[in-house]
Amino acid sequence: MALLRAHELTKTFGRVRALDGVSFEIDEGITGLLGSNGAGKSTSLKLFLGLLDPDSGIAELLGRDARSSPDVRIRVGYAPEHDCLPRNVSAAEFLAYMARISGLPSTAARLRASDVLRHVGLFEERYRQMGTYSTGMKQRVKLAQALVHDPVIAFLDEPTAGLDPLGRREMLELIRRVGGDFGVSIVISTHLMGDVERACDSVVVLDAGRLLRTGAVSGFTEETETLEVELLEGAEAVVEALRVRGLEPALDGRRFTLEGVSGDDYDTLRDVIVDTGARLYRLAPARHSLADVFTHEAAPEPSETEATS
Amino acid sequence: MTSGPAEIFDLGYHGYEGERTGRWARRGAIWRDGVRIALGLGRGVGAKVAPWLLLALALVPMVVLVVVAAFVGPATNPDDFELPSYGDYYEWAMVPLALFAAVVAPLLICPDRRDGVLSLYAARPITPLDYVGARWAAFGTVLLGAAWAPEAVLFVWNALDAETPGSFLADNWDVVPRFVAAGALVASVLTTLALFVSSFATRRAYATVAMLAVIFIGSAIGGIAEDDFSGGAADAVSLVSLPQSLVDSVHWIFGDQLDRPVSGGVSLLWLVGLTVVLAAWLVRRTNRLVRG
Repeated sequence: MALLRAHELTKTFGRVRALDGVSFEIDEGITGLLGSNGAGKSTSLKLFLGLLDPDSGIAELLGRDARSSPDVRIRVGYAPEHDCLPRNVSAAEFLAYMARISGLPSTAARLRASDVLRHVGLFEERYRQMGTYSTGMKQRVKLAQALVHDPVIAFLDEPTAGLDPLGRREMLELIRRVGGDFGVSIVISTHLMGDVERACDSVVVLDAGRLLRTGAVSGFTEETETLEVELLEGAEAVVEALRVRGLEPALDGRRFTLEGVSGDDYDTLRDVIVDTGARLYRLAPARHSLADVFTHEAAPEPSETEATS
Repeated sequence: MTSGPAEIFDLGYHGYEGERTGRWARRGAIWRDGVRIALGLGRGVGAKVAPWLLLALALVPMVVLVVVAAFVGPATNPDDFELPSYGDYYEWAMVPLALFAAVVAPLLICPDRRDGVLSLYAARPITPLDYVGARWAAFGTVLLGAAWAPEAVLFVWNALDAETPGSFLADNWDVVPRFVAAGALVASVLTTLALFVSSFATRRAYATVAMLAVIFIGSAIGGIAEDDFSGGAADAVSLVSLPQSLVDSVHWIFGDQLDRPVSGGVSLLWLVGLTVVLAAWLVRRTNRLVRG
């Protein structure tokens, strides 16, 4: 059974159609809800959490409509994009409180709070008031409070917002660990394609309230038959020699690409580089990227489900 | 030396497989948090000053009066020293209780709004009504304690001071439900009004000023209407003085006969109606705030 299911989901705010009859399912694992601002990501999350009523369609969370009973949210975590942490309370106290209002008894709540803070790397800082935390530490507390009651699924809204590159990488690694070691399914709402490519197993791509594509991330980033070659020097000579041998490289500065390469072409390229004395820097098959979904260029055939709306 | 074999403790992640509490326990957690906030428990010294000072102002005078009555009263003429009646004490206690509501009640709502915590409540297995209801109950509990405690002290002293405490209790048993009802009325009105006003502010200071404005401006208007005008319209306008309406209602509950332009019973009905309307509005507004 899918953890989340949207069926012909439509939601409008005045004249703005935030979601326009979208249908998709989200299974276990780490899923990216990808789209630019106004794509309908936050609206989707609120509909799944039962905080909004859809104009039409169905939003099911763990097989139930969250509007029917708040109890379905007992196994759901949520970390919003914006600040959501009280300043004059320690992380340990706050997490224990969040655990209690999510249905854990007091003793278990305190133990879980400390345990989860240890897992996100804040054990030593757990008794400090959160107003003194850095942005990265706050993002970790936000993640921790979403996990403290041991949810089946957690929604993380822009979990890397405001983080520097190192902090962003650490947060994405932490999310990978939560999805893997902890066994908690994660839905990341983000506009950053890099975050989805790094952390997610699958992706749901929304654009202006419509579903663009959904499927495994690997299906969007698979290798192409194009070879990318970058040389430190001698690129012109190599390209010329390849053309003499019947290949058609496309030169772009120190780099060139070869379309539709086969096994023999690799041998030819190796020989040419050796013969010309060029200095090779990089040689790799080109990959599709999630950006292709938005630019509609060279998008791979959808591996699972293509948008029907 | 260790006495047993070496053991490797698995510090990896473990899910929670124990019992999960029901909705009332979750509401209870919010209530408990609200009580701690109201009393400044678990917070720094600064957070404790205002609530405990104002609670002391409501309670200590009664304790002092009882102590004075205990040690000084027997040596003086009974006509020279008399403890206040149950209703009279509210004329003094209303000021610190109203100030307590104005200064402390915003702490239960405003920081949650300012810091964005409401969105976390929204995603928890509770409803907006659970949240605001538990907050209301938390502050009401503290205020109820502050309203009841002096009355209880007075009642206990009166019983101990009577020639036969047993006959005193038999003759005055009806005082207990009266002061219970009076305290419940005061706590309900002030809690509802303070939380309602607080729901419109993200900063505690703004909510406090707004609450004080409601009380003082209402008192001024009510006082002018009562002192300088007469007739039904003036009597109706005088009801906007909430502290005076509360005191009149409390006297009515205790059966005190006062010469007031509006009877205590009418004041009581007005306050109950106002509280119900504000409570409904508060619930509606919280529902909108929590769901974002």
